[in-house]
Order: sequence, then C-alpha cells, then structure tokens
Amino acid sequence: MSEPFSVDCREALRYLGFRGKEADEATAALLKQAADRLVKMAQPRTIWKQFSLAEDEEGLYLPQAGLRLAGRAVQRHLCGCRQCILMAATLGLETDRLLQRTQLQNMALAATMDACASAAIEDVCNRLCRKLIESSGPLTARFSPGYGDLPLTLQRDFIRLLDAPRKIGLTLTESCMLTPQKSVTAVMGILPEGMEKSVLDRCGSCDMRKHCPYRSEQEGD
Amino acid sequence: MDIREKLKKGFFILDGAMGTMLQQAGLRPGERPELMALTHPEAVERIHRAYIAAGADAVYTNTFGANAHKLAGSGYTAANVIAAAVGCAKRAAKGSGCAVALDIGPVGELLEPAGSLSAETAYALFSEQVKAGEAAGADFIAIETMSDLYEAKLALLAAREHSRLPVFVTMTFEENGRTFTGCCPSAMALTLEALGADAIGVNCSLGPKKLRPIAEEICRWSCLPVIVKANAGLPDPQTGEYDVTPAQFAEEAAACAAAGVQILGGCCGTSPDYIRALRERLAGMQPQKREGEVPAALCSAERTVALNGVRVIGERINPTGKKRFKQALQQGDIDYILSQGLSQLEAGADLLDVNVGLPGIDEPAMMERVVRRLQAVCDAPLQLDSSNPAALERGLRAYSGKPVVNSVNGDPKTLRAVLPLVKKYGAAVVGLTLDEAGIPPTPEGRLAIARRILDAALNEGIRREDVYIDCLTLTVSVDAAEAGRTLDAVRLVRQELGLQTVLGVSNVSFGLPAREQLNAAFLTLALGAGLTLPIMNPNASQMMGAVAAYRVLSGQDPGAARYIAGYGQAGAEKAGASAAAQTAGASREALESAIQNGLEEESRRIASLLLQEEEPVKLVEGCLIPALDRVGERFEKGQIFLPQLLQSAQAAQAAFDRVRDRIAASGMASADRGTLVVATVRGDIHDIGKNIVRVILENYGFRVIDLGRDVPPERVAEAVEEHHIRLVGLSALMTTTLPSMEETIRILHERAPGCRIFVGGAVLTEDYAQKMGADYYAKDAKRSVDIAREVLCGEGAAL
Repeated sequence: MSEPFSVDCREALRYLGFRGKEADEATAALLKQAADRLVKMAQPRTIWKQFSLAEDEEGLYLPQAGLRLAGRAVQRHLCGCRQCILMAATLGLETDRLLQRTQLQNMALAATMDACASAAIEDVCNRLCRKLIESSGPLTARFSPGYGDLPLTLQRDFIRLLDAPRKIGLTLTESCMLTPQKSVTAVMGILPEGMEKSVLDRCGSCDMRKHCPYRSEQEGD
Repeated sequence: MDIREKLKKGFFILDGAMGTMLQQAGLRPGERPELMALTHPEAVERIHRAYIAAGADAVYTNTFGANAHKLAGSGYTAANVIAAAVGCAKRAAKGSGCAVALDIGPVGELLEPAGSLSAETAYALFSEQVKAGEAAGADFIAIETMSDLYEAKLALLAAREHSRLPVFVTMTFEENGRTFTGCCPSAMALTLEALGADAIGVNCSLGPKKLRPIAEEICRWSCLPVIVKANAGLPDPQTGEYDVTPAQFAEEAAACAAAGVQILGGCCGTSPDYIRALRERLAGMQPQKREGEVPAALCSAERTVALNGVRVIGERINPTGKKRFKQALQQGDIDYILSQGLSQLEAGADLLDVNVGLPGIDEPAMMERVVRRLQAVCDAPLQLDSSNPAALERGLRAYSGKPVVNSVNGDPKTLRAVLPLVKKYGAAVVGLTLDEAGIPPTPEGRLAIARRILDAALNEGIRREDVYIDCLTLTVSVDAAEAGRTLDAVRLVRQELGLQTVLGVSNVSFGLPAREQLNAAFLTLALGAGLTLPIMNPNASQMMGAVAAYRVLSGQDPGAARYIAGYGQAGAEKAGASAAAQTAGASREALESAIQNGLEEESRRIASLLLQEEEPVKLVEGCLIPALDRVGERFEKGQIFLPQLLQSAQAAQAAFDRVRDRIAASGMASADRGTLVVATVRGDIHDIGKNIVRVILENYGFRVIDLGRDVPPERVAEAVEEHHIRLVGLSALMTTTLPSMEETIRILHERAPGCRIFVGGAVLTEDYAQKMGADYYAKDAKRSVDIAREVLCGEGAAL
C-alpha cells in the first residue's frame, strides 16, 4: 500500500547546493512544478522488521537472522541497544520512470525533481520512524549499509531479510545498488529505557560530515 | 496427467503457502527455503501431503527462488534443487491424482533498463529451471509472483521454447490495481494470453476480497481460465500474523469464483486448513460461464488502448526524409529518438510507429534497443515497422505488452516470413493491400488482397480482431482519382470484413504545397469512410484538429469533453501568450539576458532574428559563449545554483539549435568544437550527473557521444577508437562501482594512449581520481566544460 508523503522544498534546495540560501523566483516555480509532478506519480512503500541484537568479541550481530553488522561505526551507533529495526523504503519505479522521462525533456526540471525525490524519500523514512517511535519507543537515527565502515554489500541481507522484492518491489543490482533508485534501507536501534541519545543529530556518526557539500553553512563545522 | 483436459471440467484447486509452512517446520529468517528439499526432504514432502489431503488438485514445488542467481554461493545448482523439490512433490502426490507444478518465481533483480539484469540472463535462468523441472517430471509450470510483465514474458517464452508443458502465469498486484512495476491487469491478460499461456491470474499481496476486482478485470480481457491464489489477508507487521480466517477466506474466494475465477488456491499465510475450507465451500458450485467478447486492443505493460474509436498512430519515429533523425540513428543518439516519442504523446498520439531502418545501420539491434529504451519512458503501445523479419523478431522479443507489426502484404513470401512471428509473440498485424503484382487499381482488387491476408492470418491462429488493413494512400498529384479509390477500399474493408483500417495519411499530398491542408481534408474524408488508425504527425495541429472534430461529430467524444479540454479557454490562452512574446526586440543584449534568465522560447526567437543579419559563428563566439561563461562564473561563485545553470543552458541550447539549422541550410562549416565520449561505468545506473554534464557540454558547442549507463569498459574503448576521441568523461556514484571505473581507465590508457580522461561522481575526490589514473577530476558540470576547452580547443584552464 502506498504511503503518504510530502516534499520539503528547503531540503530539496539543500540537495541542489543552495546551502541555506533562498530560492529565486524561477527556481521556486521550478521546484513547485517538480514537487507537484512527483507527488502525483510517486508510490512510496515501506517495510520493517524487528530483530534482537547481540554482541560478542567480533562485534554486533542479529542472532535470529544469523547476520553480522560489521564495522566500528555501526557498533558505536547502536551501542547499548538490545533490539533493532531493519527498514526499507522506496518511492517506487514510477518515480524512476518520471525522472528518466523528465531528463529527456527538461534537464533543469529533472535535476530539481531529482532533489525533490531525495527529499521525499527522507520524508517517507521520517514518517515511518515517527510511527515506530510511537509503537516501540525511542530509536537511534537511521544507519545504512555503505555509511562509514558498514559494508554496502550488507544491502543483500537487508533486502532478503525484509523480503523487500516481494513486499515493496525493492530489489538490488549485482553491484548492490537499490532499484528503484530513490530507495533507502537502514537499521535503527531501539533505545533501552532511560538511555538518552541525540537522535536528532543525523550527521553525528557520519564520516563525511567534515566535508559534506550538502550541509548548510550554519550546520557546517 | 492432462491439465488442459482437467481445466475443462470444473474448479481446479491449488495448494496454499509453502514459505509459511516451512517456517513452522523450523526454517529461519534469511535461510534459503529452496534448500529444504535437499536438507529436510521429509518436511517438504509432509507439507505437500497435507495440502493434498486438504483437497488440492495441484501442488507447487518448493522452487520459487531456485534460480542460479538466488542460489549463488549455496553450493547447489538450480538443477540439483529442482530435481530434489520435484521429487518431494511427486512422492507426496503418488497415487493421489494430484498434479505437480514446477514453481518459478521472479529472478529477484530488476531488468534493464530500470535495473541491470539483462533479458538474456533472465531468459537463460528461466530456461535452466524449465528444463530441470520437465526432466524431473513436473506436470505443468507455474510462473508466479511476477511484477514485471516483461519478466513474465521471458519466463513464459522460456517455458514455451524448452518444454511442452502447460503454463500458468500469475502476477502480483497492489491494491491500486497495478504491480510494483506499473503493469495493469488488462495489459497482463492481453499479453500473456496472446503469448500462449494456458491460465493466468493473480497471486500474493492481498486477500481474496481485495484481489477480486483485479481478477474481474482479467476476466474481462481474456478468454483463458483465471487464477486467484490469494494471501490470508494482510500480515500484522509486528507479529507477522495474517488477519483472514479459513472460513472467511473460503467465503471471499467463493465470491471470486462467482465472478468467473476457475482456479483457486492460497499464498502467504494460508495453510491446509484454508485449502480444505475452500474445497468444501466450492463443493456445490460450478465455474461461472464468462460472457462477452474481449475487445480488440493493443497495450504496453502500463497502458491498454482499446480499438473502439479513432486512434492516432504517431509517425515521427522514422528516418525517411528526416536529416536529424538519420544522424541520430547513425550516431546512436537514442535520447533524440525517445524525445520524438515523448513529444508525439504530448501532442495526443495513442500509439507510436517505430521505424529505425537505414542503410548502414544494424536494424535488428537498433530495433531492440529503441523498443527497450522507449518502453522505459513512455507507456504508449508501439507499432513495430520494418520490412526486415529479423528486425521485427528482435523488436517483438524485446517488447513488453501487445504490439502491432507493420507490415505484411498479399505476397505469400512475406506472409510466410512474418505471420508466424506475429503469432508466436502475440502481436497484431497490419496487412498492406498489395502483392507481388503491385497495388491493384480498383477498390475490389484491394479488398480481395485484404481477404487473402485475413485468411492467412486466421490459418496461422491469429485472432480476427488482430488483423488491420492498410488500403494504401497514393499521391493525388500523380492522379487525383487515387484518393477516391483509397477511400472506397477503406469503406469496402469496413463493410465486408469489419477489420481495423490503417492509412499513412500524409502521402496523399506529396509534391504539393500547403500539404497539411490537404492532409487534414483527406483525413476527414477517410475517417468518414471508416479509417480507424491514421498514421500521421500528431504535432500537425490541423490534422489533430480534424481527428478531434471527427470524434465529436461521430459520438466518440461524449459531451465534447475532450474537445473542450483541448480547444477551450486553455488552448486560446496559450496561443495568446506566444503572440505577446513576439513583440520584444532582438539584440545581443536581449539574447544574453534571455540566456541568463533561462528563457528558452525567447532565446530561440531572438537567435532566429539575429541570424538573419549575423554570421552563425560570430553569434556563437561573440554572444552565446560569453553569455554562458558569465552564467558559469556566477555558478562558481555560488551566486546561482544548478537549476538556474541548467535553465540557462537550455535557453542557450535553443539558440544553438537555430545556429545549427542555419549552418545546415547554408552548407557552412560545422560549429562543433570537438567531440567527446561520456559514460556511466559498468554496474552503475545512477546517471543524472552524467546527463547534466552532457547538456552543459553540448551547450558549449561540443558534440557528446553519450554511451549511457552501466557501460562495459570495452564499449567505451571501442567508441573512442571508432570516433578517434581525445577526451572521455566517466561517472560513478557508488564506492562499489569505482573498481569498474578504474578498469575502464586502465583499458583506455592501454588502447588509446593519447586520450585524456576526466571523472566525476559523489564518492570521488581529486586525490582518488589521480590514484585511479584519471587525467582530470570534474567536481561539477562547469569544471567539465573547462576541461573540454583545455583538451579539445587548447584554451587555458579554468576561466
């Protein structure tokens, strides 16, 4: 079933490199056109599953699934959590087609729409997380395969464990790219009671935060 | 066991979930269920037995994901697993009369061009499964849970080409009535029936209640037995429990049966209890006889076009008489061809003719490529237009949906060569009323050929509704009576045979001035005579106007709703706006300002005016390039951003188009400033960055050979050698595809040592680019222009 979503235009501008600056009139019009078309076409879908989380000398793993979460970054990120949620979200193939089609006709619109789609998939993930927080309690921020030293090849396990091709039409290419393209997979820790963690700092555990081109000037270090 | 005979007798009950039962038998999440046939054969056999005891007429083998792709790394081959799984099912079914279906699920990756799985690979995987299943003794083949109609087609082709077993095909639809890839039920039904499936339907995703409307739609669009293999409702995301009980399931499934469904079973969340309840509930019922004819129609996976009124076939994807199109074919510029398709759809075409035949072009390969790429961006059904049977076959094999072949004629040789292809690939066909003796001069002569073509098609097993007749438009400048003869022939074919009629309308005016006027008048007469499928230029407003008017006058546009939408206030405003824009003055300053502000129309118009006075090259060097430089400078300084840069680029492109036209018309030397190749490397399908770079480079007058995405290193090297390229741009988005970028660079340095390489992409840095052996790192599109100017024009680096 398709999920509701909206396009945060400020977020889209950030992806377009505006770094906190306002859009001029022409860009604002382009943004609106792009967002309207996207909202009409996209069919966002999400799926998630809860797993228990354990740790041994080699690091973190999901015992039910027989899956290891390799790397120090994710270990730091999920530190203290006994349960985690694997999630996947996609804007659907309709969005890929719309972006391809628009690129053939109007590249300025297409580039803007691509940014809107990135903002939209973030929004879809945020909505899911808010829902999960309501039902499962506070969560860590999302952490995805390919962030820091968590191997991108873990996508294969995430997709398989979530039965994502069948449940939401999300698949992987041989080189571990998500298809449809505007898609996200992630793991979140369920924070044990009494444990505080700044879940709002989404850049906190990202290795790229020092030279990320997308962070606004205020956000920048 | 003869499944086809059994289907004539009554309901046919399938089994329920395998995965759910295996989990109960101890399968852990993430484990490959298919391996249970080898590791725990007794558990698998027990599940089959339980379904047979519950009353199933057929059980599906535990082979849903038993393809070489999904089994990679397991140590087993598809043949191993399938032999074991079919063995389990056959042992369980022995003596019971229950049939064994070889279950084939999707490969699990998206096909090209949306993903990177090639059709050839998918077909080979399915073929391997089919051969193993038939060898192991399966009674029929059940292709299920398909989301992509084209993948279902490949699996069905593999089944038909490697076995004689009956084939059931079910796809998985969402509540919005579409699959994840956008396929609609009518398109699925039309396509799979025409390709020779024995039964079709839906499985998984929803419970029987919510699948019923989809099943009903399939019943309307097909004569085949229809299958519903539904889930036990929806799962609770927390517990995984499904919400429909066996009794409810049976009740809802019985409602599907009453709506015409004949083959029923269960999918995720169901168990033998559900199948038992279903069997008992259907005990007193008989399959519903389905009434009504299936309408004549064509489809892509996403859109069905019923032929119950005038349908416009766009003619613009055709090199005949089009210099720019020929050039695009020769240079492999598929994007240009696609944009021709999109603009025709926007202008109101219902179907698109695709003709890519040109001397010196590998037509079969080009047909396949264009069909695939077109279908990825536009949803109109296609008319595959070629006189080359090999090109037709490649196009038919690549096509997702039900297309029409243009054309055969009364010559027995073409009928023999083409009709079997039309039948095999489930297409419709256009028959031209001519034969080896030429075009008959009388309408009766043309009718006689139409009859012969129809008979030959019927003999081949092609449906009558799928034969369309083209009575041939001849040029009135040669003989004015030709128009009347064509119209009479159309009338006769409609009256005598009742078939769809096709005409290439604009031939009528060849050699005369103000052609569109004549074309529109002839079109109106032809529509009145019974023409249903005009092949024409949908961008010709008078002709589209004639079609719109005819639809109103013949009752095909109830309440003139479409007419008003197209020609009411909105249409009038558009015309007014362009008239107002005509008044502003034309100067270099005005052109520069239009470019800076990203005003495409304005830029095109001013450039046209300036070109009446100025030399094209002077306008480029003196105005366009400096204007772009200023835009680029502002971009670098962070005063403007990507959308504005691209809007300016598009405005400049509009002016450049005028310059090119002018140069082509006057035979002057080309304004191209050099040619380069760009590609997104193998394994990578994120290509918007590369496409942006291409647009900006073209703007500066560079010719860009765009090899697309997921491009193997060898292809880049071949293109470089073939076109004597001095500069290549490569893009990659992900860390996982950097090795293939590195390999491409290595091969290029080996095979074309003089060629410079620049690279770009989100995960790259200057250092990394150097380490890989690239000559330049382009952090953005503007930088790639500086690099191109330095390498190809000998200009200084960054401005």
